Amino acid sequence: MDVDLRPVRKLRESAAARSALGPIMEAVCASPADLGRARVVCDWIQYKQNFREAVVSRPVADPADTADTEVEIAFDLRRCADIDPENLTAHVKQALADRQPGLPLEPWVPGRDSCIWRFNQLYWQALTHWEVATGREYEQSLPGGESDARNIEAARELILELFRIWDELDARRALPEELYVLELGVGNGNQARTWLDEFLQLDRRHGREYYHRLRYLMGDYSPHVLDRARQAVAHHAERVSALVVEATRPSVTLGFLAGKAFLVYISNVYDNLPTDELACIHGRTYQVETQAFLTEDDAGQIAERFGTSRDELAKLIDRLLRIGPELLSESSPGEFPDPGQAVAFWRAAWEALRLRERYVPLEGLDRYQITPSLTGEIIRPLIEGQGDVRMHVSNGALGSFTGTLPLLHPFGRIQCHDLFLTGSQQYRTGFYGPGKYDGSVVNWVNGPLLQLIASRRGFGVEFTPFRQRPGSNITTLTAQARD
Amino acid sequence: MEPTNTVLLPTTVVGSYSVPEWLERLKTEYYQRRISAQHMAEINEVAIKAAVKDQELAGIDIVSDGELRRDNDVDYFLARIPGVNIPQRAKADYFDYYDAEVTRPLPELPDEPGAGSTGLALADDFRFTRQLTRKPIKFSFTGPFSLSRRIRDDAYSEPGDLVRALARRLNAEARELAKAGAELLQIDEPFLAGYPDQVELAIEAVNIVTDGVPATWALHVCYGNRYARPSWEGHYDFLFPAVKAARVDQVVLEFARKGLDDLRLIRQHGWDKWLGLGVIDVKNPEVEAAELVASRIRRALEYVPAERLMINPDCGLRHLAPDVARQKLRAMVAGVALVRAELPGGQTS
Repeated sequence: MDVDLRPVRKLRESAAARSALGPIMEAVCASPADLGRARVVCDWIQYKQNFREAVVSRPVADPADTADTEVEIAFDLRRCADIDPENLTAHVKQALADRQPGLPLEPWVPGRDSCIWRFNQLYWQALTHWEVATGREYEQSLPGGESDARNIEAARELILELFRIWDELDARRALPEELYVLELGVGNGNQARTWLDEFLQLDRRHGREYYHRLRYLMGDYSPHVLDRARQAVAHHAERVSALVVEATRPSVTLGFLAGKAFLVYISNVYDNLPTDELACIHGRTYQVETQAFLTEDDAGQIAERFGTSRDELAKLIDRLLRIGPELLSESSPGEFPDPGQAVAFWRAAWEALRLRERYVPLEGLDRYQITPSLTGEIIRPLIEGQGDVRMHVSNGALGSFTGTLPLLHPFGRIQCHDLFLTGSQQYRTGFYGPGKYDGSVVNWVNGPLLQLIASRRGFGVEFTPFRQRPGSNITTLTAQARD
Repeated sequence: MEPTNTVLLPTTVVGSYSVPEWLERLKTEYYQRRISAQHMAEINEVAIKAAVKDQELAGIDIVSDGELRRDNDVDYFLARIPGVNIPQRAKADYFDYYDAEVTRPLPELPDEPGAGSTGLALADDFRFTRQLTRKPIKFSFTGPFSLSRRIRDDAYSEPGDLVRALARRLNAEARELAKAGAELLQIDEPFLAGYPDQVELAIEAVNIVTDGVPATWALHVCYGNRYARPSWEGHYDFLFPAVKAARVDQVVLEFARKGLDDLRLIRQHGWDKWLGLGVIDVKNPEVEAAELVASRIRRALEYVPAERLMINPDCGLRHLAPDVARQKLRAMVAGVALVRAELPGGQTS
């Protein structure tokens, strides 16, 4: 039996984590699992709101398609430490027995196709409703209570570096007339406002009148968000254009920008884009399939609270995800007399949402499409020959990143602040999502994979700590042409 | 061997040919020491045979070996030049550049005729291709200026001396190529556009390379094609008039991606030798229509007579998928056929 203890740091730091190990092993041994065909995996799920029970089981399908299926029994050490050891065996038995419990909200799908991403999209589309219901703006739910977008020091550093490059190009008469800066994922416009205000001030001091040549493009998939952001930069209206951009396919809208962007600024977008997970177990490569569901108890409670039946609940959630809380309230006034009730339903469903998982063998990495133009071959050096490992593919982030690289001017750069893993070995020593972050999904981004792909396209990628907020989990990715 | 001078507007390639993803992976495996040198050499030879066949089937008049033995445009040469140190020869990816250095002046070859191979063995590469096809062959290699840009020079107090030393080495190699029967040789200078103030040095070095070599010489200058992206932007103004001093018979320039505006330089500076006209954009996977190719050639004919015009892609086809490369070559040949049919003399010159 393999035992995979991932939260290395926690095992050093936390007596509770260590004390959970003995009972866990005893519970597994006392369970009906075939110990010769079982894997035990222990994580430390740092997200208080997440998609898992304390103990879950995951079938590992045999590539030969025989009936002999391995099982992975996964423990959240953080929560297991709070479970009475006497009860842990019962949790394991239940996890092994209940592989099809509760109310499924979807069929088995790759992670990126899960309905959790529809919830995530709804959160950003109907953010105002969510904020009204929770009584706080989304920035307040971020660690530290504000977005990185308001950090003036970070903006100043970037702008001065741009000035340096532009001065050099200007000296060689190679500076284009229009100087493009692109921001992807504009939030409430605070980043753009901070950046442009600072740019204007520094440009006045610099004396080269770059401000009048600046073209600041704000790209976001939501027209509503763009409108709000545009209001925030109304005093820079002549310099700013707002474009509806699908984050995972920026070139569709921004093809005209190829080779022109001096700076592409992306903050906390990638961790919020759909992703699959792949795993290598005993030398075989698997895709992690997921299925969103509500436990029987949760389904029953939500149905009762909102005056509907358990059988209707899945349809009602699907409608919510299609039309949003406002229209749901209008179309179903019986259950939801006002939008607030529909938001309450949304929050209850989101809070109760769970994911079950299984491992399905991949026919071959070349048969697996990360994005429409990128096969799984690229991930081979990271996932094969490294022992048992499970990692994000970061499909949405990769689609966005690979679509953004061609937009860069030869002297341009991408600067991206996000939750990046900076080494693939980290997948062996910690848990990096998915988790729930307020109403959105959060996954750390597979930084080494972005680095690898950039390298194959002639770009160097560096990761540095987010200097403007020491101690933060945020890492800064910088991509620039090399050679 | 088929004669080279019987068609107007002969078609050719710049040098490199499409490297399929599977071949890239195998090359990387080789550089990570998971494939033997012998197996890699055999794989390369099979790929070269396929590349030559592809060009023949597309109807290209003057073919190349596709440069398929080479990991990139620089390292194949640097790794074989005595005196160039490469401390780390394993690569994470085959296409990465080595970190190369010279710590003392490159050893000079014996100053005697027929001193023999200089270590690069390019003549052997040519001989292999020669026995594959009856078509005329263009054999290209990277020029001394561009090679020097990838070497950390701790040996020469005057940087131009490294360029000249490399040029002497390439001259010896070119003599061996000519002896092996190479008739059309091409010097590639993909880095030159990034250093326009050093064009005189680059041309001086070109003349060292071509000195005393009985072959037709082409000089290819582009704006870079690494990872299918231009490394620089600009115009060919920097090349003129310096390039007129180059002892070459042809310049091979890119026009499809950049537009044809720089054709004016040909007339403006009285370039009276051949022009290799880039009519295929190698950085864009979209396949050109034959009529678009033809229109580019017709425009060029306003500046250069058909008797001095050779038709080629902008640069090497390395970064295009194999099927796209094949389609682009066929489109180029079809475009040329349209124009040939309009010219007096038709198919012969």
